[in-house]
Amino acid sequence: MLLPSRMAVLNHMFDKDEVDVKSVMAALKDDYGNEKQFNEKMYLDHLMALEANGLAEMSSYDLNENGDLVMKYRITDDGKSTVEKYVDKRYRVA
Amino acid sequence: MNSGKSIMNTSVVSADTQMKAAGKKFQVTGISNGLVSGLTYGIYSTLVVVASGYNPLVSAAGILAAPFVASGLNDLFAGIWLLFYNAKQGRLRELGRTLKTKPGKMLVIGFLLGGPIANGAYLVGLALAGAYAIPISATCSLFGALFAWIFLKQRPTKRVVLGMVMCVAGAIVINFVKPEGAPNFTLGIICALIAAVAWGLEGVFSSFGGAMIDTDVAVNLRELISGLFALLIVVPLIGGGIKLLGGTLSAPSPMLWLAIAGMSAAISFVSWYKANSMVGCAVGMSLNVTYAFWGVLFSVMFLGQALTPTIVIGSIVIVLGAIVVTMNPLDLFRKGDA
Repeated sequence: MLLPSRMAVLNHMFDKDEVDVKSVMAALKDDYGNEKQFNEKMYLDHLMALEANGLAEMSSYDLNENGDLVMKYRITDDGKSTVEKYVDKRYRVA
Repeated sequence: MNSGKSIMNTSVVSADTQMKAAGKKFQVTGISNGLVSGLTYGIYSTLVVVASGYNPLVSAAGILAAPFVASGLNDLFAGIWLLFYNAKQGRLRELGRTLKTKPGKMLVIGFLLGGPIANGAYLVGLALAGAYAIPISATCSLFGALFAWIFLKQRPTKRVVLGMVMCVAGAIVINFVKPEGAPNFTLGIICALIAAVAWGLEGVFSSFGGAMIDTDVAVNLRELISGLFALLIVVPLIGGGIKLLGGTLSAPSPMLWLAIAGMSAAISFVSWYKANSMVGCAVGMSLNVTYAFWGVLFSVMFLGQALTPTIVIGSIVIVLGAIVVTMNPLDLFRKGDA
């Protein structure tokens, strides 16, 4: 069985320097891509909620070529220890 | 090409502007969610009282059966509404996935503490100590902050503490009425205190990796588990409980009100958890406490509750307290951008 998606997002971030909503979704597409909840709004929600809980932090932001705001996030030490403590080993990326 | 150049020139500024707007929107959404959770919790509290005014609930024997049947059905209804909501979002599969994880299991322990245990203790406290139980239960935000401080190292600021104290003080003022012939007053207060501690602890259990769980999924599990536990395990243990449950299930009026109450509770919990994850637990909880104000207002409007000075003063104190928790009131007087 797959991880709950918010947990999968943080788990994915574990060994990445920086992610944004598009790169997260690209990485999780194989597992979650066919689900109705697999959309940018929901996944940006996941990133922002992880940030609000101190498990991730915004590393940078800029506009893309369309002039849309792109926020980049990285996992915090708290986030890493939360993954290490609570995410089952067989799901872990590193 | 031309437009590309102009974007280059202004990109830094407008990225900053957009970022500031996004951050502000997040904050505003969090606070609005907290306020909505208080409002809908007030509606829910009022409607449960309305539902309990119909037969067979109103004429049920004993002090335990009716509250547990009513609150169990309410929670179950809320859980069912949330199933529809999450199905619409395409998130139903998340429920099973969440229960399989360690944080999910910790959440369930918290749900049992905050659902049947705290709710049960609160209802018994209300029955034994009357309205005095309400302000005691409102101290759950203090316990929540205290436990978060001890276990989670989340240190509240002085301003947040002051606001929380004001919220509790307001709740006490609202409910400052002498108990009339309450037989087991002290036991009732102890029950309300147990409820407050259990509600405070629920927040802590939600924090063992619970931040990795989608709150809309978590709250769906909470209402389903709480409702099923109350109806399948607690109600059968109460004398006359099963019979009352059967009678209520076949009575249209209370069932209709409980279904609407369940929807209010569902909205309240979704927005409460959302507020907690967006603006932090202390702020979320304190905004939610405004339910005391709304609950009183609706009782005055729809249930014939008398409007007294203590109710007016207490409600104002609670709302002011919630504002102090949320923001520094002095910021209102500072001009210019932050």
